[in-house]
Amino acid sequence: MSPMLIGIVPFGVVCGVGAITAGASPIAALAMSMIMFSGAAQIVATQMLAAGAPFAVIVLSCLVVSLRLMMYSAAMAPYLRPLDHRWRSLLAYVLTDQAFARTIQRFRESDDLAGSASYFLGGGALLWVVWQLATLLGIVAGQVVPASWQLEFVVPLCFIAILMPLLRDRVSLLVFVVTAMAAVVLDAMPLRLSMICAGLLGIAAGVVADTRKGARG
Amino acid sequence: MDRQITIWLLIFTVGATTYAARMSFIAFFARRAMPPWLAEALKHVPVAMVTAIIVPSIAFVSPGTLQLDPGNAKLVAALVAGAVAWWSGASRSSHNPNPMIVRQSAVLTIAAGMIVLWLLKYLVG
Repeated sequence: MSPMLIGIVPFGVVCGVGAITAGASPIAALAMSMIMFSGAAQIVATQMLAAGAPFAVIVLSCLVVSLRLMMYSAAMAPYLRPLDHRWRSLLAYVLTDQAFARTIQRFRESDDLAGSASYFLGGGALLWVVWQLATLLGIVAGQVVPASWQLEFVVPLCFIAILMPLLRDRVSLLVFVVTAMAAVVLDAMPLRLSMICAGLLGIAAGVVADTRKGARG
Repeated sequence: MDRQITIWLLIFTVGATTYAARMSFIAFFARRAMPPWLAEALKHVPVAMVTAIIVPSIAFVSPGTLQLDPGNAKLVAALVAGAVAWWSGASRSSHNPNPMIVRQSAVLTIAAGMIVLWLLKYLVG
């Protein structure tokens, strides 16, 4: 779990900076990390808020970003089925990209359900604590660094670090190109709807490309 | 609406929808498997949404003003950061199955991008 703990620090700092530069109070910025506990959703919310998007559009966009959590939920579900509702509700809260990646293998290979569930909960709790500390660091940085340093630019830079390793196959490249072009062309759309529309167009392009690839061979 | 109230409402609403996504198959549809078409589509969510988030903050110098030339310091900084991310990602083995997980190489990418941004600002004005 420890390499993951180091890995989430820059992202957590970026979330703290993003919330502060979007005008959130330090308390709200920290509450965001505690309650949402999802870097991608937090960044989308603060970026769109800063861009002046209306409430409903922000919520909808965050929902699309969080859809990937449904994949993890579906993959985890069969292993958690024997647990009672309270355990499942608690484990769902700490279900993140990192906790999923570290834990799913253990559930698949081990028959010790209680052991795996404890590992999941312990790892998830650790990630949670580190996430809050990293956010605090970002909140401080966001307040003391002068605006002329354009610290808010760390948000797209952090996402570039996430994006580049994803672009390793033709379909992903296509999704990237279609989304990027759509984001530029649709930018003038009202209510900052361009982000969600560009994203959905990119996903549609990916699905079409997959279908055609499947049909060919 | 007051900015702080909007932020607090967002925290609770998005917190609830995010938690619902996490609970979806663990609790709500516990007896069902995810339909294959949905799994296929969800695979593309990370690339599409990350791209949709970052492109406006890089390609536009101010709201509504597109600038796709070297005069846009953010664009140059983003391209350099992209090259660094690609190189540092490639030099590691591709054993990371989920790139949504930010790795240590993110620090390098962020540092490179910010340094280029500051340099261009300092040199060009």
